[in-house]
Amino acid sequence: MKVLHIAHREFVSFFSTPTGWLVMGGYLFLTGVFWTYMVENYVLQSQDLVYNPAAASLLNLTDYLLAPFYGNCATVLVMVLPAVSMRSFSEEFRQHTMELLATSPVSTAEVVAGKFLGALGFVTVMLTVSLYQPISLAQWGDPEIGVLFGSYLGMLLLSSLVLSLGLLISSFTSSQLVALVLTFAACLVLMVLDWGASSPDAWNARLALSSHLSDLMSGAVKLSDVAYFLLGSATCLFATHQRLESFRWS
Amino acid sequence: MIQVEKLTKRYGDTLAIDALDFEVQQGEVVGFLGPNGAGKSTTMRILTGALGATSGRALIGGIDVYENPRAVKQLIGYLPESPPLYVDMTVRSYLRFCARIKGAADPKAAVEQVVHRVGLASVAHRLIDHLSKGFRQRVGIAQALVHEPKVLILDEPASGLDPAQRKEIRELVRELADGDTTVILSTHVLPEVEALCDRVIIIREGRIVASDQLARLGGDATAIRISVARPDDALLPALLGLHQVDEVTREAEGRYRVHASADVREQVAAVAVPYGLLELSGQRGLEEVYLQLTGEPS
Repeated sequence: MKVLHIAHREFVSFFSTPTGWLVMGGYLFLTGVFWTYMVENYVLQSQDLVYNPAAASLLNLTDYLLAPFYGNCATVLVMVLPAVSMRSFSEEFRQHTMELLATSPVSTAEVVAGKFLGALGFVTVMLTVSLYQPISLAQWGDPEIGVLFGSYLGMLLLSSLVLSLGLLISSFTSSQLVALVLTFAACLVLMVLDWGASSPDAWNARLALSSHLSDLMSGAVKLSDVAYFLLGSATCLFATHQRLESFRWS
Repeated sequence: MIQVEKLTKRYGDTLAIDALDFEVQQGEVVGFLGPNGAGKSTTMRILTGALGATSGRALIGGIDVYENPRAVKQLIGYLPESPPLYVDMTVRSYLRFCARIKGAADPKAAVEQVVHRVGLASVAHRLIDHLSKGFRQRVGIAQALVHEPKVLILDEPASGLDPAQRKEIRELVRELADGDTTVILSTHVLPEVEALCDRVIIIREGRIVASDQLARLGGDATAIRISVARPDDALLPALLGLHQVDEVTREAEGRYRVHASADVREQVAAVAVPYGLLELSGQRGLEEVYLQLTGEPS
């Protein structure tokens, strides 16, 4: 129960600070612009192909609209998520409120879980609002449900990993800015890790974000990819827990 | 209610507190007194379970802080040196959050009760960010009280406040102390201790240098400062010859300081008048004891 109280406070605080609104507004605006532009482009292309049935049969919503669009969304997410997690512990340190949590009858695990769930809840709201895009598309077209499901699952799992990483990093600094920059840098490293990988089985290709994300978002939900995100999140959250516990022994 | 045995905390090479031993009975109000950096906050933070001790142990209500921190935290209310406030919340929603995570039986009722008790009703709907320092301190105290703890640990509850606010906080703590609540408060302001506490524990460099009832500790000890117009070598032995005078030090030409175990101002004046007494001031008990024990130059 106390986990939920902590999560609830965290969740609500996103709506009482400019950061929360900026993140949500920024994400929805950027993806909205992409969506408008890409849908328009798709419509133009399909009009061009009215008299070319052979080429038109190759044009489909999944490959020419949804896949590239959700690829962009994931990139935007990685850009805005560090701003969601940056305040989690940094702000507690700066305002000395960590002392409240540390002296209340709640365990460190409950604090970490509450923070994580609050932030993930906020991102879930943001992603839910963005559902207007596929819903509006379903009015006129017939998008593949599997791809949509995979894309949203992928974005949720991606959020979980980036937020946990951000939580861990913010537990090391009382400066939100430092937490933001370092989390973003860490995400960038995870994203480009597979550049120049010798084969898809090389260690850096297996560790990189993008390879796990792209399969998920094409609708192929594999246990190994889901496990990558869940284990990554769990590792970061556990490390955060240990970091916070270490304050008692400083 | 509180038992502390050989409590030691080391930060790297520095010894913050060194084998502290003390006990606090239920309902007692104990003042922790000492210069900055003496180890007051460290001791309090160990009692709250926020900090682990290097060795020794602390029991609150018979429960070991290290072995069962959660049960101990349920028993205590703690106000750190800087009140832990989420400034983007309103007073009421903040206190409600505190009541919930501290496991108050009925959070809503507990919040309304504490809001009235601490005198926050007029600002309960406002953002903490917009409150004055005095009100913020009250919110900090309300936070510590909201789950009706048996033990209250207040770290410098009146620091940074103006005299009027200090008085209000002091009255608030006294009200609490009249009940069954056990209170430990730290301060380096002596009048606060004298106004509030049954007992004083003076610590210096991590060690307890005195722990006694306020009346006994302060006792009748006095330090008297005099300055005379015509200093003479005969004055010093004359002062020393007085009954109950322990020590006389010459601070400057014509200025003396008399340490006595009783209030001997009248006798000192009588001795000093023939030498042209210009000034005589007495320092009351606790202050004198405190300065002696903590070795702070006055």
